[in-house]
Amino acid sequence: MTSDQTAAGAGTAGTAGSGTAGKANPPPFDTSVANQARIYDYLLGGKDNYAADREAVDAVLKIAPEMGFTARANRAFLGRAVRYLVAEAGIRQFLDIGTGIPTAGNTHQVAQAIAPESRVVYVDYDPIVLAHARALLTSTDAGATEYIDADLRDTQVILGQAARLLDFTKPVAVTLISILHAIPDDDDPHAIVATLLDAVPSGSYLGISHMGSDLMSAETLREMTAVWKRTSQQQYTPRSRDQVARFFTGLDLVEPGLARVEQWRPEPETDVAHRSIMWSAVGRKA
Amino acid sequence: MDAGLPSLPPLPDPDDVPAEATVLRMLLGAQLRRLRESAGISAEQAAYPIRASRSKISRMETGRVGFKLRDVEDLLTLYGVTDGQQRTEILALARRSSAPDWWARYGDILPGWFETYLGLESAATTIRSFEVQFVPGLFQTEDYARAVTQLGHHSASPAEIDRRVALRIKRQELLSRPSPPRVWAVMDEAVLRRPYGGPEVMREQLRRLAQAAARPQVTLQVVPFARGGHAGASGAFSILRFAERDLPDVVYIEQLTSALYLDQRPDVEHYLEVVDQLSGQALTPADTAAFIEQAARET
Repeated sequence: MTSDQTAAGAGTAGTAGSGTAGKANPPPFDTSVANQARIYDYLLGGKDNYAADREAVDAVLKIAPEMGFTARANRAFLGRAVRYLVAEAGIRQFLDIGTGIPTAGNTHQVAQAIAPESRVVYVDYDPIVLAHARALLTSTDAGATEYIDADLRDTQVILGQAARLLDFTKPVAVTLISILHAIPDDDDPHAIVATLLDAVPSGSYLGISHMGSDLMSAETLREMTAVWKRTSQQQYTPRSRDQVARFFTGLDLVEPGLARVEQWRPEPETDVAHRSIMWSAVGRKA
Repeated sequence: MDAGLPSLPPLPDPDDVPAEATVLRMLLGAQLRRLRESAGISAEQAAYPIRASRSKISRMETGRVGFKLRDVEDLLTLYGVTDGQQRTEILALARRSSAPDWWARYGDILPGWFETYLGLESAATTIRSFEVQFVPGLFQTEDYARAVTQLGHHSASPAEIDRRVALRIKRQELLSRPSPPRVWAVMDEAVLRRPYGGPEVMREQLRRLAQAAARPQVTLQVVPFARGGHAGASGAFSILRFAERDLPDVVYIEQLTSALYLDQRPDVEHYLEVVDQLSGQALTPADTAAFIEQAARET
């Protein structure tokens, strides 16, 4: 159900977004190496992390102290983006890929606080993260939540299963919050996003946050990459402003366009005194 | 040990203090420290107006000593906390931290080590557990609880059994308080299959479990026999988590005549790992609900 050993030989490259039956393997549950979801949990002050996660983060914070603020600002961006999508864009359906370990202000909670009938499909490829999501992300009675155990690269699996809860003839917001930098160029993240957007109708939205390679010095980027390589289950590919903008090809960007997470429609309580190293944008499919 | 060192008043032995009061004092102390620090006031400066020493402030802030309401009020004023709502909340916490616990009435049947658990349970925001044998106490029916209690205390009088069962049922009020803790239990299939009290009692118990699973604050997962071996080889345990960021998780392992409380990070993480792994191996909550109903039909 979770792992498909037969696909292992195919590798991940080449299956991305192409709609073939390839399925990436979920990460093994291994607390001796740092894990993306647990790293983020630790950065946000959660308690669902292990020594290896904390060591990796502490090493990264020495190189890029902005990372702590970035994680919190990214979380706050998610909240503002979802509020915008529900309250101003009228969205009631979400496909949230890269759910992570639940914390305060999860997508369905933000959405359902405004529109209780909101429906949210959460997708994550990490079975332990998904167990947390299933246990903790419970919907209002008026709305619904569903969980899909799939890798972002398996777009056909995601779209097929999401259709059980979401009506793809009506607008859907696809949110890819702090996940696309975990997809290397070889897996063609732009094609993955294009495939997802092809499946949703006009009036749908795309929300992205993405670590910015041009928001840090070349040296920081190099050292940070070396730490992840040594400590982490997932590797990261921060991308430039232009590369992130390309995800929105053919979409109309919502004001203020592409911006650092803390600069995207800040609210009075948004901390804009610090600088994150994460790009963000929300765009509408015409 | 005392030669040449500044003399500090002896700390009370934390084991002498009921845990609920301890936890509440820790929470209150942590809040007071944060308020003091954000007001830019040193411990010495805080001590003077309440006629205390710097070390008394430090012991208050780590939850080692009780609080006088008047001291808390004076400190809040000193720290510039004038917001009525915030003052009321903190003072309510101070009051609760000195009130006797509800289970004090059950002192005759309550071993001290279990009293500690009740304190932690009532302070927790999340209770994760793994059960191999029994339905979690918070979801037991009276008849099931009686059957289990009788087995454990076969020489007890009927009156004592009644009191033990009454205590267990009273504990369940936790689930209906205004902001109940999140309870996330993973159960071995054996829990559903061993009919304590006979098939009728068990069927009723399974129905209760199915109802519990439907509550938004409750998550139940079963590891079916068919999934083979699982990570929980060690036996039953609970992990209690508290809202306060500074408070570590506590692992509780019940033994026949005592209990083990683990709060050192490496120990806690070992159990967290096991329960994480179990929750990944177990049926999803939705499939578990169907599984429990099926088990009820088969009992």
